[in-house]
Amino acid sequence: MRAFVFTDKALGRQAGRFVWLSINTEKRENAAVLAKYPIQASPTLFVIDPVAEKIVLKYVGAATVPQLQRILDDGARAAGHGRKGRKPDELLAKADALYAAGQTKEAAEAFRAALKGMPTSSPSYPRTVESLLYALSVSRQHEACAIVAKDAFPHLKSSPSAANVAGSGLDCALSMDKAVPSRSALVADLARDANQVLTGPRKGLAVDDVSSLYLTVAEERDSAGDAAGKQKVLEELASYLEAEAAKGKTPDARAAFDAHRITAYLALGQPERGIPMLEQSEKDFPDDYNPPARLALAYRGMKKYDEALAASDRALLRAYGPRKLVILNARADIYDKKGDPALARKTREDALAWAESLPKEQVSERQIAALKKQLETPK
Amino acid sequence: MLSSAALLAATLATSGLSAKEVLPFIADDYPKALAVARAEKKPIFLETWAPW
Repeated sequence: MRAFVFTDKALGRQAGRFVWLSINTEKRENAAVLAKYPIQASPTLFVIDPVAEKIVLKYVGAATVPQLQRILDDGARAAGHGRKGRKPDELLAKADALYAAGQTKEAAEAFRAALKGMPTSSPSYPRTVESLLYALSVSRQHEACAIVAKDAFPHLKSSPSAANVAGSGLDCALSMDKAVPSRSALVADLARDANQVLTGPRKGLAVDDVSSLYLTVAEERDSAGDAAGKQKVLEELASYLEAEAAKGKTPDARAAFDAHRITAYLALGQPERGIPMLEQSEKDFPDDYNPPARLALAYRGMKKYDEALAASDRALLRAYGPRKLVILNARADIYDKKGDPALARKTREDALAWAESLPKEQVSERQIAALKKQLETPK
Repeated sequence: MLSSAALLAATLATSGLSAKEVLPFIADDYPKALAVARAEKKPIFLETWAPW
């Protein structure tokens, strides 16, 4: 969003309606803001009433320009700053409030109620469906989530939400217990919808959403035991991302796809394919820990452990916040693979000490428990 | 302590927005955003993001 959405001139009409605040969730000094406005995923977008310091709208995930326009219009209205003569949708506002309060199960019910009386042509329909899908998925109501996605897809197949709706639905269907009778039909229906998005015109779809959709379709092929099919999907994803990156006119626009590309190359078993782009990104962004952290993963995949450790050294020099944990965990794994259990253990101890030094808003108890467990398990 | 209006004036003087920016984001400063929003009677749009 930072490279492509917030810089779009079409958003100019919104500039004077809000005070715009960006918070880097990895910085220690931002922990207090996260305590006030907790997030489960990044990015999460909020509209906040500054008088009561109350969230009036929350949206999880990246948005395209038209989606963001909708979020902003709904948010301004919910905050009492909408255009005159337009009544706020009370059911939707109630759902937004529950969702913002982290009551995802209750929010799911409220979004469902809001959706009931809402025409599919309503400008709020796509956002309501997406929020309902997220709330159902987070509250582990996988079957309900898959059914909502399947029913909504025909209305949204030509919208910017198509990839997200098909992908979230398919992901939910795949997460269902295999013993549930409706699972296979839901997987098949949503895989068909997902493929319809991937083979259709992609105008207006966010690259992030399309990329995630490819990964979900690859997972579906994997779960069906179709190794060749999975490889074909991942190869298409890699080519797609390479073409999108090639369109980028600035280093920022090109490197915006590095994370998705290295994920695709690692899944394909072709980590070496990511080396040139990451070396270029490390030159273009010398203060950014991401390119060397990703190079460490690529070299680990290539079994070049000394190069992986050298890249990890460079990443650690620049890393801060919770991401440093991820880099230290990967480093411990590199030592394991290299056959150096003593340094692997030492690195995990460093990781645990780092985790315990982070504000509680930036590290989960689950992460700390996992590190402790790894240290207790004899190798 | 600065009043909201004084803080707002200080903010506007130091924000150094480039003409190319479509949305004038305040980075990593919630108290400043809150003061400006209260003074201008506008809602806050908050983007939480991670650099990876």
